[in-house]
Amino acid sequence: MTSNQSASLRGRFSAFRLQEGGLLVVVFVLGLLLTIFGGSVQRPVFHEDANGQFQRVFRTNEAGEREPVFAKENKFFNAQNLAQLAKDTSFIAIMAVGATFVIISGGIDLSVGAIYALASVLAALVFQKFGPGGMSNTPVWVSVPLGLLVCIGVGTLCGFANGAMIVALRVHPFIVTLGTMAIFRGVAFVITRGTSVTGFPEVFRDLVRWQIANGLSIVPLAVMVAATVAGGIYLSRLAAGRRVYAVGGNELASRYSGIRVERVKLSVYIIAGLTAGIAALLSLGYYGAATSSDGQGYELNVIAAAVVGGASLSGGRGTAFGALLGALIIQMISSGIVILGIDQNYSQIIIGGVIILAVLFDQFNNWLAKRRLVSRVTS
Amino acid sequence: MKNPFLFAVLALALALGAIAHAQTKKSYTIGLIAKSQSNPVFQAARVGAEDAAKDLGAKYGIQIKIDWRTPNDEDAQKQADAVEQLVLAGADGIAISCSDANKLVDAINNAVANGVPVATFDSDAPASKRFVTYGTDDEKCGEQLMHALAQELHGKGIIAVLAGNQNAPNLQRRVQGVKNALKKYPGIALRDVYYHKETPQDAAARVEQVMEASPDITGWIFVGGWPLFTDNALKWNPGTVKSVSVDALPAELSYLRDGHVQILFSQQYYQWGYHSVELLMDKLYLKKDPENVKIVSPLIPVTKANVDEFANNWKKWLPQ
Repeated sequence: MTSNQSASLRGRFSAFRLQEGGLLVVVFVLGLLLTIFGGSVQRPVFHEDANGQFQRVFRTNEAGEREPVFAKENKFFNAQNLAQLAKDTSFIAIMAVGATFVIISGGIDLSVGAIYALASVLAALVFQKFGPGGMSNTPVWVSVPLGLLVCIGVGTLCGFANGAMIVALRVHPFIVTLGTMAIFRGVAFVITRGTSVTGFPEVFRDLVRWQIANGLSIVPLAVMVAATVAGGIYLSRLAAGRRVYAVGGNELASRYSGIRVERVKLSVYIIAGLTAGIAALLSLGYYGAATSSDGQGYELNVIAAAVVGGASLSGGRGTAFGALLGALIIQMISSGIVILGIDQNYSQIIIGGVIILAVLFDQFNNWLAKRRLVSRVTS
Repeated sequence: MKNPFLFAVLALALALGAIAHAQTKKSYTIGLIAKSQSNPVFQAARVGAEDAAKDLGAKYGIQIKIDWRTPNDEDAQKQADAVEQLVLAGADGIAISCSDANKLVDAINNAVANGVPVATFDSDAPASKRFVTYGTDDEKCGEQLMHALAQELHGKGIIAVLAGNQNAPNLQRRVQGVKNALKKYPGIALRDVYYHKETPQDAAARVEQVMEASPDITGWIFVGGWPLFTDNALKWNPGTVKSVSVDALPAELSYLRDGHVQILFSQQYYQWGYHSVELLMDKLYLKKDPENVKIVSPLIPVTKANVDEFANNWKKWLPQ
């Protein structure tokens, strides 16, 4: 390895430490606390039969009775709970990756929850058409990609509409997305008339709920990782990503340096809409139904995840990996309240407090890292 | 069996064996998931569940813990997550009021597959493998409302129905019940069924708008009690227009006292929690299933005559 290469690696490592080191420590500490104080739980043992179905394991006790077999596990640190944590995190984390693009560019998107609802119900109606109560004879290779396309397409279109209005009307994104939040949810309500849409093709549901072992659904986790990696590569490795930071850091300077600011702004809202569509698709497959009230209030959870993940609301700062860690921290606290058996009445206070503490800790860590960097440069 | 004595001894031995087996477990955790934290009816259900835990714990000499996992606002996805989290956290049974039945079917079935029995209350998930559901029969509730108003109007008049969200299935069943019972009263005409956004302010505004447009209305049926959660929803002089309503929350009782509303029909909020825990403990501890999967909780009529007595319930039902 040449000295240039090792310097470059060191630089990359320092940048990583600067941005996400504090968050990783928070995740580790939370995990450690929950593992130690969460206690243990008796859970039924399953085995996979010849048909691939998970069946409970029974044994005959001393009295000759058939009884289920239980295994003692740590409440937090066990495969099923970690998969559950990843699944619960995934919907918000995927949307938070998209929202981070918007926040880095200096904008805000209040409509992601409504896009999630609209994409959900429209795709649900398509899936329902091909479900057990509809044209169930339609080949899988037609019905599933069509529903998938509608869900992701609607999300992307909604994002495009947001971006186009912000750019063309030159109205603050807060106002535009506040308006579209009501419009998108209103359209979803009118289409569904407030009812729950269900009855999807089994193959679609099986795809999203696919398990590697009993209780270990990994599709939401895999999509979350893929979205984060793609978002991370876009932001840190592509010129288009650097332009997002530039616009968020100083819009005027970016304009003078030849960056097409409007195009960048349009692209970040499209990405935010796209991620909302992907999250909606996963939710549809996992929960098997959609209503116009889905995702109510999720916009704030998504923004909170991005900000806890290190995105600056004044623009120019944030990463896709940070967004994932932000969503993970919030979900770990939420799940931790269940694991530790804390009265849920206090959950909002605890989550709010820990979010502020996590951000403060992250800022402190950044300050320490910068100080180390300055002292290294000056020495 | 030829020998009845032998049969009795065997039955006794089996029963004692079952009890001895049941008594091997000394503490139980019941997860309670209502629709939203901010609704007082679900706070009453929580108090009911906690009281049942104390009563049954003392009765059987065991410890019963209620694990309250209700979203802040209605969110079926969060309810499904809560069911999964409770199963992973080792809950022995779960009682749930479903915000969206379709979205909860898989989570409930998964809990049952993991050996955690699920009871629904207030709002059912009929397609799931819950072992029992406890709540109001909505169609009968509508019929009861209509009969009560018809009695107040002496079989003559023009009435209106206020029905919240027009796509809520339980409200539609109540409206259907009203319409079914209305056929028995030829002297009463239904002006219309009016819908509104389910907030007290929107409901009160809709009543005002309708009365402005149709001042000849002589009776109202509120299939949900939203307008009565505000303190000045009914602008007519008490008694000039007769009204009956579902629910009897503390805020609604003043309308009975001042004569604006003649009868309130209370759902059994406290029992939603209390009886759900009883049913779950019957299954978990006594290994006894309910006779019917659907158990209807009758409505409690509250009038000016018993309003103060009924109001005392809320002192017990709401968390102190």
